[in-house]
Amino acid sequence: MGILTVLWEKWVEFRRDFYKISVAAIISPVMYLIIFGLGIQTTSHGEPYLHFLIPGIVAMATMTGSFGAIAQSMSVQRLYEKALDQVMVSPTPLWQFIVGQIIGGSLRGMYAGALILLLTSPIQTGLIFNGLSIFIMFLNGMVFSTIAVVLSFLAKSYSDAPRFTTYIIMPMSFLCNTFFSTDQLPAGFRQVISILPLSQSCDMIRKIANGQMISFFGIGILLIYLCIFGLIAMLFIYKKKNL
Amino acid sequence: MIELKGLTKRFGDFTAVDNINLQVETGEFFGLLGPNGAGKTTIISMISTVLLPSCGQVYIDGHKLDRKASEEKKKLGVITQEYSMRQDMTMDEVMQYQGKLYFLPKKVIKEKSDELLEFAGLSEFRKRTVRHLSGGMKRKLMICRALLVEPEILLLDEPTAGMDALSRRQMWNLLRKVNNQNMTIILTTHYMEEAQALCNRVALINSGKLQKLDSPAALIEEQGAFAVDEFLDEGTKSHFFKTKEEAIHFLESSDEQASFRATTLEDVFVECAGRRLL
Repeated sequence: MGILTVLWEKWVEFRRDFYKISVAAIISPVMYLIIFGLGIQTTSHGEPYLHFLIPGIVAMATMTGSFGAIAQSMSVQRLYEKALDQVMVSPTPLWQFIVGQIIGGSLRGMYAGALILLLTSPIQTGLIFNGLSIFIMFLNGMVFSTIAVVLSFLAKSYSDAPRFTTYIIMPMSFLCNTFFSTDQLPAGFRQVISILPLSQSCDMIRKIANGQMISFFGIGILLIYLCIFGLIAMLFIYKKKNL
Repeated sequence: MIELKGLTKRFGDFTAVDNINLQVETGEFFGLLGPNGAGKTTIISMISTVLLPSCGQVYIDGHKLDRKASEEKKKLGVITQEYSMRQDMTMDEVMQYQGKLYFLPKKVIKEKSDELLEFAGLSEFRKRTVRHLSGGMKRKLMICRALLVEPEILLLDEPTAGMDALSRRQMWNLLRKVNNQNMTIILTTHYMEEAQALCNRVALINSGKLQKLDSPAALIEEQGAFAVDEFLDEGTKSHFFKTKEEAIHFLESSDEQASFRATTLEDVFVECAGRRLL
């Protein structure tokens, strides 16, 4: 019930800012697609680079969409509007509020990913996007929404949300299997990068797109992130003395 | 009944609320008074679970109140000092969100919102976003929002701040009305005449500590029900007397320009806060 309330609140936000949200969701990914996919035309593993790039861009759009939807909104609600107080006082169980935020954020991420799929659909790539891809996008979105919830509790000022994006989202966007395979990275660094959630999501969405089997290791990694950050979020909302 | 037992809140080395013990009875109109930074808002924030106490505990009807206590929180309605609302929601959406957070059926939310917004004179602005409302309208909306869920206990942190005199009087009438329906009200205010007019009992808080706790009439009586203000070069000095005769005698014997009046809760507050009118 409380989860539906949060999803309703997210829907109100989405409906009101539909155009802004949609445009913001596609600008960067479309730029990357134009520059790296169409502008600098190259190949990867004998295939057009665009075939490698599109699954990565979809995963990245899901990540940035989910993270942005929650980090910004919750930081503003907590620090500026104080609207979080309304939730804290209410009888809505706080775990439901957190779960609602995570699902709501993930849906926003999926919307961003779906827009990329829609925009690239005229390009004949032969890439496959199916139910499993959608599941991975949803899981990826949940992980980054949860990270955003935790960071919004840690934020001390309004400017922290964009700062977190610079520290976390931007490096992941470029390093985590989005634009190039992590296989090319030096040993040690490669292992670290490969266990980051976006690396796994990119890898899985790309494998599905190319008709390959995915390993459940990737799903396991995403679930571990989800559990760890989900627990931290619960701990904060129930135990943090000064929210 | 609300019970605060040893309620303490520290922010680092600073103790904002220091071992407050008090009980507010069901249906009571209770005032928390004190100078800026006395700890009133921190107490309200702890009762509403936004802040967790460093020590001590809040009980509602004998049950411990914490962030998991949904049944106890159902009884609470809060009007915070700041406009704690989504700025990009319309009035209707703010009311709907509140109703949903308290699990009210859609029909009830609609009917009660209509009634409350009409009562507050906000109906014609209901499609306007909070961002585009005046301070007074936002304040009224917060009150409508709190009353939507028919709380048993209403926490009001400076509810009339920023309101014009007429709106404030309307608010007093509304608060009296809901209090007469056995709603417990805890009010913090800077307006002493507000506390004197509305509250059954008041607690004077200073530097986080409970200084005095009694009815406004009893506190005034204790201070001395009659006052004489002497207008000295260095400022106004007030003298308090138990009887009118004593006050008049002092007035007549004073060499300074002076005037006689009834003592108010503001006098008690000023004396308690260790300040003098200048």
